[in-house]
Amino acid sequence: LLWKESWELGKNPMASKGSPLHGPRIKLIEKAQNLFSETKEHTFESKAAEEHAKLLRIQHELEVSTKQAIFVDSSISDTIRTCIVLGNHRAAMKVKTEFKVSEKRWYWLKVFALATIRDWDALEKF
Amino acid sequence: MAQIPNLDNSPLNLKSLRELSQRELINILKNIRGKKCLVIDPKLSGSLSLIIQTSVLREHGAELRHLSADPIQTDCTKVVYLVRSRFNLMRYICSHVHNDISKGLEREYHIYFVPRREVVCEKVLEEEKVHHLMTIGEYPFYMVPLDEDVLSFELDFANKDCQVDGDTSSLWYIAKAIHKLESSFGVIPHVRAKGKASVRVADILSHMQTEEPVNSSDMGGPEINTLILLDREVDMVTPMCSQLTYEGLLDEFLHIHNGSVELDASIMGAQQQEGKKMKVPLNSSDKLFKETRDLNFEVVVQVLRQKATSMKQDYTEMTTTNQTVSELKDFVKKLNSLPEMTRHINLAQHLSMFTSKQSFLARLDMEHTIVEAQSYDICFEYIEELIHKQEPLVSVLRFLILLSVTNSGLPKKHFDYLRRELLHSYGFEHMATLNNLEKAGLLKKQETKSNWLTVKRALQLVIEDTDTANPNDISYVFSGYAPLSIRLVQHAVRSGWRPMEEILKLLPGPHSETKRVGFSSSPSFDTLHRSSEAADRLVADGRRSLVLVVFIGGVTFAEISALRFLSAQEGMAYDMIIGTTNIVNGNTLAEAYVEHLV
Repeated sequence: LLWKESWELGKNPMASKGSPLHGPRIKLIEKAQNLFSETKEHTFESKAAEEHAKLLRIQHELEVSTKQAIFVDSSISDTIRTCIVLGNHRAAMKVKTEFKVSEKRWYWLKVFALATIRDWDALEKF
Repeated sequence: MAQIPNLDNSPLNLKSLRELSQRELINILKNIRGKKCLVIDPKLSGSLSLIIQTSVLREHGAELRHLSADPIQTDCTKVVYLVRSRFNLMRYICSHVHNDISKGLEREYHIYFVPRREVVCEKVLEEEKVHHLMTIGEYPFYMVPLDEDVLSFELDFANKDCQVDGDTSSLWYIAKAIHKLESSFGVIPHVRAKGKASVRVADILSHMQTEEPVNSSDMGGPEINTLILLDREVDMVTPMCSQLTYEGLLDEFLHIHNGSVELDASIMGAQQQEGKKMKVPLNSSDKLFKETRDLNFEVVVQVLRQKATSMKQDYTEMTTTNQTVSELKDFVKKLNSLPEMTRHINLAQHLSMFTSKQSFLARLDMEHTIVEAQSYDICFEYIEELIHKQEPLVSVLRFLILLSVTNSGLPKKHFDYLRRELLHSYGFEHMATLNNLEKAGLLKKQETKSNWLTVKRALQLVIEDTDTANPNDISYVFSGYAPLSIRLVQHAVRSGWRPMEEILKLLPGPHSETKRVGFSSSPSFDTLHRSSEAADRLVADGRRSLVLVVFIGGVTFAEISALRFLSAQEGMAYDMIIGTTNIVNGNTLAEAYVEHLV
């Protein structure tokens, strides 16, 4: 039952997608995380919720600093790609370490992103 | 060419079935006098297009509209809705009525539920205070013949409904459809079911028989001898593999809807403006398609080439030598097949664009590796790479399901790792997707050792050196993998479940086997017994007896092909008819589990 309840919560924030107020959304996800962590079986879900909340915060910051509303609701990989495409390698690196993105995935993302902006020089160097 | 399939060669009189549906629909229209606006649920219109031409509906004074949220624009004072029993559709109708009222329009409303009315839907109408304005009826449209040997119950997502949402109403509809078949063709004496839903359907079916028995006294013996019910759940491996038959590939890449594909007219060689779409009907009325649809695609290309060369040869002969009139006539007859030739050469060419891609070949390779279940690590790394490259989610899910099902789950470490990578790559909203898959048992943590190897060996699912040109086994449809589901059918037809109980126990869901007799006609048990025995063997008048294979949760074209291949085998005493909730492929199945949150 707990599972189900928290599940609904997990779904809710998606329903209110696109709202500029992310405060309540992050709170909801954190609540879900707490509910998940109350049972042993759902450590994975709890972790995911925690990461989701963190991602939303970072995306929000990015949107403020770049003044472009293109980050929220994209996945971690997409966020990294967007950062590289915008040439913001420091931010990309930050997201990478924040979520412990594996080297393998990092390389794919970087190659794709650099290819998109046709930054062949950087691709060569890297 | 008509999209409505020609059913003349059907082993069962499906034509009468279709005509009944036609008549019932026309009667509905006739009973409402004068001009009317027929508003059709868009989901239904595809199925309806397989039984009746729109011109016929217009002849009966119907103006056709699709049901949507927008108010209907019509001058008619009578509005007839033809809808499935769905909440959101009820909302649309209510808003239409309210809209009319606010404009001061007075109209007569009729709702026909397909295939039957449901109390919950009428409750919605009552709550919205429009119930008293409606005349409510039913249009008992439970199935549609897709082809001379394929019946569809047109139930989308029946698989997901049952496994994830716990909604079993679709099972009732399936049983009802089979029961309807029995009322035209007699009670089916043998029923074999495998899988949770199948056993339930068999139960409901026998209840229906007790409640409203089929009167079989005026019929000469049952026309269908055996009913085999199979859950999709029993075999999720087969649909996750890429189909390699002509029709199967057409569905994988171009999506066959209601027996036709829609594609750019330019592909079909039409000299029209860019971007124009055209519909190409695909059913056995097209002789060349009937000949090639079930073949492995490699062979199809050869067949087409052969036909083209022989035609060219005929043509050169024609121009060089003097011909008699009858020879000329033969030649012209051959020319008649030319449009079919061009059509399929165009289609095949378009398809080979996809099949010759490196990534497609790599995919096939990997599917085989997974099914052989020898080198787990390679498969795991391949999937990991797919996720990292952010390949389309659905194709990743196909592989994940395949790997998880053949290994009865993934080791906990990998399970968590892949799930995390997936969420990172495709977004956290897919938590819901993962949850759906887990609930359905398609993607899970490994708890017991997998028995796939045992199943694979016992049923000979992987065949080395398959000759796709001269197949001697159903494994040709996947170039070396014999679909599990069809192997089960093969055994069930040959010897029933009993000899293979050990294997059945390794597959999900219970199984059952029952013998039934018609209740209403009650001659002594002895004669009944003898008549069903007679049906077991070849019927005396030379007709082959029939097996109805019903797939609950959908069937792929490759599996249909494999069944056709089976019944065409020498020494096979049965014709096969296929019933299915809908036609599926790996993409549509996996797609159903993806949660869309908008």
